[in-house]
Amino acid sequence: MSDRLLSGLLALYPAQFRREFGAECVRLLRDRFRDERGVMARTRLCADVLNDLIFGLPRLYAPARRALVSPATPQVCGSIFRLAEEERPSLAALMCAVALSVAGFGCTMGWFANARHAREVGFMRQAKMQPEINKFHRPSLRLASFSAVQQPASAPAPSVAPHVRDATAAMVDAINTHSVVMFGETHANKQEYAWLCSLVRDPAFHARVDDIVVEFGNSLYQKSVDRWIAGEDVPIEQVQKAWRNVVGAVGPVSPVYAEFYHAVRQANRMSGSHKVRLLLGDPYADWEKTKDAEDLGPFVAHRDEWYAQVVEDEVLPKSHRALLIMGAGHFRRANGPGLIEQKLRALGADPYLVVFGTNVVGAYDDVDPRFDSWKTPAIVGLAGNWVGDLPATPVLTGGMGPASALKMAAAADAMLYVGPRDSLTAVNVPASELENSDYGKEINRRLMIQMGRTMTFTLPAETPQFQRPAPQQAATGSVQHLPQPQAPKSMHDPLPPRPPLQ
Amino acid sequence: MPRRKLDPLPSVAFQILLALADNSLHGYAIMRQVEDQTEGRKRLGPATLYGSIQTLLEAGLIEDVDAPDTDDSGSERRRYYGITGAGRKIARDEAEGLARVLRVARVKKILRGEYV
Repeated sequence: MSDRLLSGLLALYPAQFRREFGAECVRLLRDRFRDERGVMARTRLCADVLNDLIFGLPRLYAPARRALVSPATPQVCGSIFRLAEEERPSLAALMCAVALSVAGFGCTMGWFANARHAREVGFMRQAKMQPEINKFHRPSLRLASFSAVQQPASAPAPSVAPHVRDATAAMVDAINTHSVVMFGETHANKQEYAWLCSLVRDPAFHARVDDIVVEFGNSLYQKSVDRWIAGEDVPIEQVQKAWRNVVGAVGPVSPVYAEFYHAVRQANRMSGSHKVRLLLGDPYADWEKTKDAEDLGPFVAHRDEWYAQVVEDEVLPKSHRALLIMGAGHFRRANGPGLIEQKLRALGADPYLVVFGTNVVGAYDDVDPRFDSWKTPAIVGLAGNWVGDLPATPVLTGGMGPASALKMAAAADAMLYVGPRDSLTAVNVPASELENSDYGKEINRRLMIQMGRTMTFTLPAETPQFQRPAPQQAATGSVQHLPQPQAPKSMHDPLPPRPPLQ
Repeated sequence: MPRRKLDPLPSVAFQILLALADNSLHGYAIMRQVEDQTEGRKRLGPATLYGSIQTLLEAGLIEDVDAPDTDDSGSERRRYYGITGAGRKIARDEAEGLARVLRVARVKKILRGEYV
């Protein structure tokens, strides 16, 4: 049995419920199938599944239910259960359930047909069979994709508390229920990358994810990184070109990215046969051959397209499970999905989007105390609770950007919270390591090509992640502000042919 | 009188609270415990079980808890649920309400035997 059947059943559930409990539901059915053997037991199991589809499923779709949920008092609590259990489903809901049940019954018959095969294979071999199993997942992913995009989020209910979950456990569940999980990061953040490093070392997550696609990796160096991540000895000077030579970075690249590469390599060394591949999603510009801005134009202009292409070429055809990491500005939804998510959905994927967020809900000083009780790092779903109802821009930018009509629930599926805004720090390459060093000179050469200016290296190893905007900052900052150079004409050119990988 | 419709606590929610009264359990174990408690009369399917769990979580009657050291689920980490103080109080109130009903049933000689 059939992961195909389980995925098919799961697709019948509401998207929000599926995200929260999909993996648990699948596990429950697997456990029952494993433990209940024999014709009578299996027949009873099928009857239970059908009964649950007919009577349990319509209640999950009851539209008023979520909006009335409140943890406050027993009286309100009672209303939840009335809606959840005692209210009779509408005729339309029952008819829908009957139709779904017929489909479910057909699947169940298929389940019987496959039972012998399922016993031979065994659920415990799932990890080894994941590529084959994932092929079966694909049709249901398309269904889930449709529901995720087409169904409007349930009406925001500001009083509804979110379900605050341990971030790692939430990501393990996300990667179990979605073959592609997108994480919109905040650049260089210490607390966020400390968690990401712990995530890739987590045995449950490592066992489930096949690829991690990163913005902070120049795909020109995929070959070297593949060898190094797999545990081979490759000179670090060659490997670090991957994160230092990205087109998307202006200025010194934060050490958090190198630490993340090392964490993936270490996790692979500690694991058994399953190895996670680090896929480099930045275009293949060769800084060592770049002389002027025209050489960079096509790469700068097609960063999102190339990132999506890497996923299309290296992840989806192999039916892999992947974590995608890129700046939140690339991933977050505005008027619907961004370019990368659109392309992935068009290819049949059903991405789940998590973004880094803060406790700032308006101007710089508008800190929301409701976050204070959260145990961090935490992930919360954004549909139907007060977090989803917050204005997205201040939350995502730590109060650096003004609020707009965009709400968090429209910007992403879930939010990572690693601590109060004022506790967050950015990790920098210390000035002492840049002054008069080859890397520092190369940084200034690149800045002159891209921005027409150089910089004086003054930053300490750590600085506040979101510094209070101050008008005088422009005069005292470390960057010498000069007029912006004109965009290179080559930005309108397509990407050049990909050179041999290094 | 909406409150009257809401009382007693629905049986599935009550059974889940009872299942968690002395142990934190994952979903499958809750299902099995409820099956035992009801002598096989209630076997909760995924929608009923997790729909109720979701509601109980949102109501603050149960909570996510860390897996116990004895958890052997390996790489497929399970979610464990534990009863909260509010959940325990509601379960106790519900049980006391049922006990009152049973006392009346016994006085009226509707209930036979020494069940309670």
